[in-house]
Amino acid sequence: MSGASAITRFLLRRLAHAAFLLFGVSVLAFFFSTFAPGNYFDDMRLNPQISAEQLTALRADYQLDRPMPVRYIRWAGAVLHGDLGLSFAYNTPVGPLLWARARNTLLLTGTAAVLVWMLALPLGVWSAEKLGRPADVALSWATAVLLIIPDLALALGLLVLAVRSGWLPTGGMVSVGSDGFSAAHRVRDVAWHMVLPVAVLVASALPVLLRHVRAAMAEALQAPFLRAAEGQGISRRRLLLRYALPAAAHPLIALFGFSVGTLLSGSLLVEVVMSWPGLGPFLLEAILARDLYVVIGAVLLSTLFLVAGNFVADLLLYWADPRIRAEASRR
Amino acid sequence: MEPVIRVENLVKRLAGRGLGRRVKAFTAVDSVSFSILPRATLALVGESGSGKSTLALCLAGLERVTSGRIWFEGRDLAALAEKELRAVRPRLQLVFQDPASSLNPWWTVGEIVAEPLLVNGRTAKREGHARAALVLEQVGLAAEYLERRAQDLSGGQRQRVAIARALILEPKLLILDEVLSALDCSIQAQIANLLVEIQRAYGLAYLFVTHDLRMAAHLADEIAVMSGGKIVEQGVTQDILRNPRRFETQSLLAASRVEPEAM
Amino acid sequence: MSARSRLLVCAAVLGTLHLSVACGGFLAPYDPAAQDREHPYAPPMRPHFVDTQGQIHLRPFFYAQALRTGSFEEYAENRATAIPVKFFVSGAPYRVLGLLPLRVHLFGGGVPIFLLGSDAYGRDLLSRVLFGGQVSLLAGLIGAGLTLSIGLCIGAVAGFWGGWKDEVLMRVAELFLALPWIYLLFAMRAFLPLTVPPLQAFLLVVMVLGAVGWARPARIVRGIVLSAKERDFVRAARGFGASDAYLLRRHILPQTASVVLTQAAILVPHFVLAEMTLSFLGLGVPEPVASWGNMLAALQHYNVLVSYWWMYLPALVMVPFFLGYLVLASLLHGSYGTSKIE
Repeated sequence: MSGASAITRFLLRRLAHAAFLLFGVSVLAFFFSTFAPGNYFDDMRLNPQISAEQLTALRADYQLDRPMPVRYIRWAGAVLHGDLGLSFAYNTPVGPLLWARARNTLLLTGTAAVLVWMLALPLGVWSAEKLGRPADVALSWATAVLLIIPDLALALGLLVLAVRSGWLPTGGMVSVGSDGFSAAHRVRDVAWHMVLPVAVLVASALPVLLRHVRAAMAEALQAPFLRAAEGQGISRRRLLLRYALPAAAHPLIALFGFSVGTLLSGSLLVEVVMSWPGLGPFLLEAILARDLYVVIGAVLLSTLFLVAGNFVADLLLYWADPRIRAEASRR
Repeated sequence: MEPVIRVENLVKRLAGRGLGRRVKAFTAVDSVSFSILPRATLALVGESGSGKSTLALCLAGLERVTSGRIWFEGRDLAALAEKELRAVRPRLQLVFQDPASSLNPWWTVGEIVAEPLLVNGRTAKREGHARAALVLEQVGLAAEYLERRAQDLSGGQRQRVAIARALILEPKLLILDEVLSALDCSIQAQIANLLVEIQRAYGLAYLFVTHDLRMAAHLADEIAVMSGGKIVEQGVTQDILRNPRRFETQSLLAASRVEPEAM
Repeated sequence: MSARSRLLVCAAVLGTLHLSVACGGFLAPYDPAAQDREHPYAPPMRPHFVDTQGQIHLRPFFYAQALRTGSFEEYAENRATAIPVKFFVSGAPYRVLGLLPLRVHLFGGGVPIFLLGSDAYGRDLLSRVLFGGQVSLLAGLIGAGLTLSIGLCIGAVAGFWGGWKDEVLMRVAELFLALPWIYLLFAMRAFLPLTVPPLQAFLLVVMVLGAVGWARPARIVRGIVLSAKERDFVRAARGFGASDAYLLRRHILPQTASVVLTQAAILVPHFVLAEMTLSFLGLGVPEPVASWGNMLAALQHYNVLVSYWWMYLPALVMVPFFLGYLVLASLLHGSYGTSKIE
């Protein structure tokens, strides 16, 4: 079996799986929306600015009178053409609205992901090495402290700190008048605004991740083949990088997918509290406004990100773990 | 004399598992026939992979038969539905090889031995435990063992408990699937003797499945040698030991180093 | 200390914490909905033991707090009158566990005593924290119980009977796990009525929590059931006529007990936090019923965040509970499991 076709087949299979997940989630979302007690337009009816005729027109427009499977097929077809529906509240297509927000969420979550792994990996390896010793215990206690503080408290707390000290911006993504900034200044401005939300995300995700990295590394370090290598007099550094880390690759890469999910979830609250213009506040607003297609779109987009994250993890795993490659080429 | 059990052309095919993968069927038991008389012992001897354990499970009703018949008490067990089988099961019991996994480690001995009675719903708890105590005595364990947890017992003790559990329903046929293989040599002899005693006391027929020809010779009236899912040689114990005709029998003989005269 | 006694101590501490919240009616000096428009945003009052003359009193006393004349925000202590604390006073009626009506409170005084300060409507924060804790903790506990029950059933069915049931159920579980879980939670909440009375809102929150978290426990239970049903003692039981239901009930499900307990210790604080998040954002339990989440909603206003630090306290009340559950989970986990995430 040639390597190229094996990897293509693996890729295709994982892609098909990802597509199935997205499809399944969209069906679920539509399914739940049908069971929503009360009509979506009941709340809109209470809004005096919308007349009865407008309401009927809207209903016809969105075809909310049709049964669910029909609506779903129509919507799914539209999505595959890139059209995510219309927002009731904004009266514009959902797609561009979501995408603008999604970019901001990606920026935040992506930065947090990089940072959290940059911290968790070395710290995890280090504490796995010093397993049980005072340094490791101290680190465990420190992460436990972070773990027990709810991220809501953390977010609000850091916000208070920012307000009181005046060092950091207290919310939003850009400062007032940022349109007039030079490109470099704008980048710096956004970065400055990112400090607090990223800090909260990292602080909430780090403890759990660190624990798991530590556990995975500790297990890898206990493997017999490592002890044998040690006996051969290989340097500690080489031992860690060339022997232990690859052995722990499997659980670590699985952890990557898991961390993406945790960060995406955490980002919702952080974005709302810190007024970061991402998917989170937008989803909340849509929920409160009963904006159906925005809600479904936002949920789908967040799923897409998570599925993409897991897909990347699968690819890394394929590359890192020869067993998976062998199994895949056998099929 | 009517045999306790008569097996006719039993076939068990195992399918490869999984959807969409190549289903490679494997015939574990290939048209096997034999019968066991009351109070007699038939030893089924073969190497691992010969199909003897699968055959034992089929007889005990724990695996579905692909084709063939199992005549027991005038009925064909292979053709019975699960519910009807349940009525017959008490009289045809199986003792497993590994006492560590065949007994629920968290349960007490009393609970384990009494379980067959309580499962069928025919007996009340107290009566069940009383019967359990009696049977336990028969296998050489004092009443104090009733309260001990299975995980606290030794291998030999556990196997005794397993045998007691099989006996409590007063079966006519006991299938012993490699029951001595997991035990230490010294304990093996003890349990083997216990089995002989119990057979006399209860008037049981035994199907003794093993890879050890020596053990088989010690316990069995008849020996059937199994290989590749088939019975390749069958006969009275002494005949098999003195004149092993098949290559498989000879290698089993060599592996267990039995002296025919020592019988 | 042995593992078992460590577990008992941890459970005891956690139990005491929960008990004190359950006895919220007694420990709280006031009704959580009782407003005092004359004391909005009053800062926490300190108990004193030494009076202005330097005399030491065994019984703590408070100085009445009132708004400074001309100010809407600043409070000053009136050192002229000392209000001694009275214990076991009769106050606003409440019900223990929703059943037994009582009026006795642990402490009280003639004037409003705000140990933790008051909120915008002059409602005592300590009372609200205690009653809010009842709501939040109950939501977490019931939600976790619900989701674990569902997960257990589904995992058992999938693992025991296998076949197409297993495929379908595990695919659905995979779908539920494909979303970031907060988005799943919010999506489900989104499709339910938004403006509902507090009790219904509470039930909705619990229902949504229960419906969201079952996938991971189900997968874990399924794994255990799969390996358990192959064990010889299960086949032996089948050999003497045990039915499927009996096998599940007596042999297989008991083996899931340890994992279910560990999952419970992990899920309860997670769900309490979820309720807090929902209520904080206006999708959970609404005013005037207190919940740790909706008490923090006021902090979304810049003004409140900066000036009234005591409004932040409900965010920290959760910490000892989190700690207790964390220790419990790692003790249980250490006794049973591996470190792998499922």
